[in-house]
Amino acid sequence: MAFVIGEPCVDVKDMTCIEECPVDCIYEGERMLYIHPSECIDCAACEPVCPVEAIKPAQHVDDRWRPFQESAKSAFDVLGSPGGSTKVDPPIEDTEYVKNFEKH
Amino acid sequence: MLQDTSAQEANTNVDLLFIGAGPVGLFGAYYAGFRGLSMAVVDALPEVGGQVQAIYPEKKIYDIAGLPGVPGQELIGNLVRQAAPFSPLYLLSQQVQRLERRDGGWRATTSAGVVVDARAVVITSGVGAVTPRPIPAGEDFLGRGLCYFVPRLDVLDGKDVVVVGGGDSAVDWALAALPRARSTTLVHRRRQFRAHEHSVQLLHQSACTVLVDANVTELRGRDRVESVAVKVAGEAEVRETKAQVVVAALGFLMNLGPIKDWGLELEGRAIRVDSRMRTNLPEVFAAGDAATFDGKVKLIAVGFGEVATAVNNAAVALDPQAGLAPGHSSDLTLPAQVGA
Repeated sequence: MAFVIGEPCVDVKDMTCIEECPVDCIYEGERMLYIHPSECIDCAACEPVCPVEAIKPAQHVDDRWRPFQESAKSAFDVLGSPGGSTKVDPPIEDTEYVKNFEKH
Repeated sequence: MLQDTSAQEANTNVDLLFIGAGPVGLFGAYYAGFRGLSMAVVDALPEVGGQVQAIYPEKKIYDIAGLPGVPGQELIGNLVRQAAPFSPLYLLSQQVQRLERRDGGWRATTSAGVVVDARAVVITSGVGAVTPRPIPAGEDFLGRGLCYFVPRLDVLDGKDVVVVGGGDSAVDWALAALPRARSTTLVHRRRQFRAHEHSVQLLHQSACTVLVDANVTELRGRDRVESVAVKVAGEAEVRETKAQVVVAALGFLMNLGPIKDWGLELEGRAIRVDSRMRTNLPEVFAAGDAATFDGKVKLIAVGFGEVATAVNNAAVALDPQAGLAPGHSSDLTLPAQVGA
């Protein structure tokens, strides 16, 4: 079901999670990072290392994270499944939701 | 944990070949032995235990049937002990590269040049071979001073050692090197470490040179590594640090590798199986995260059930006179039954 990166990541992009991910399924966007919903293997290695606690498993997505879950799905509409973030040049294009997101 | 018992075997004949020595492959080895089948288990890592041992050995797992909370390492240790009476042949630090049909069975050739002839194959490779994340500066010096694992601590004695990485492995290797090495340097590309706070404290209190916001840009030397070039953020010049041993502890990647070239019906990283855990290839089964079907749930507990199903069905495929049901485990007399 994958993990989801939410609001705390926006305009922060710490990127420690990218180092942890064993399948390179975290892609760098312009304002935030995106976990590829079908490349994620649910190993949970990323979740504890995020210094701003931006990552949640899909099972724990609440109203604040849900739009980011939808956003992550659409982030890969054009890219499909590249098979690893090293296969694309960063940054990938942010989704409309993230482009317009106002961080508090 | 386990020594590789293979190296001298140029050619081996077994009933079952397990590809992947994670928890599911290990349990499969037990089951194969219980059914009186000989087996070999291949894994890309130098240790058994798959993702569990490599990525979360200390994490407690709560959803293994019968075990309210077990650290990953302990689970793996238990599985090794469980299979031990049947003397599995473990072929570690190698991947099966070629799998070819031969004489009604399968011939597997590994990256170490080992050839295994098996009457049936059970693929328990999880989400793919677990391999060390390569050091960005390049792997030219692998085996010539650059390593991803330190096989014996004495290789560090009297050397200038550079460890690259920011997690528990990197910090542990640096701390282990300190009393033995001539010099120890840790290079991490971020400022924060992902290792246990206590270990990081020990590191900062020690004589180790700790370079953060730093990257190894080049490994230099002729026959072996002689130095590394390190670019520290904010410094104009690249530093050159003497090093004869470079340990890259940058975590792991999981790759399907050669498995995707064998003609198996794949869905993403997983192999399609039927209710007998059979793949589309004759006498090739799959179990655990490597296997998929409608309604599949990826749990270790589920994988255990699947590999028992696979082995028992393989037993029948190899000997149509054999029953599908294995009988009661307590009925079997073993030379050294664990927990009997």
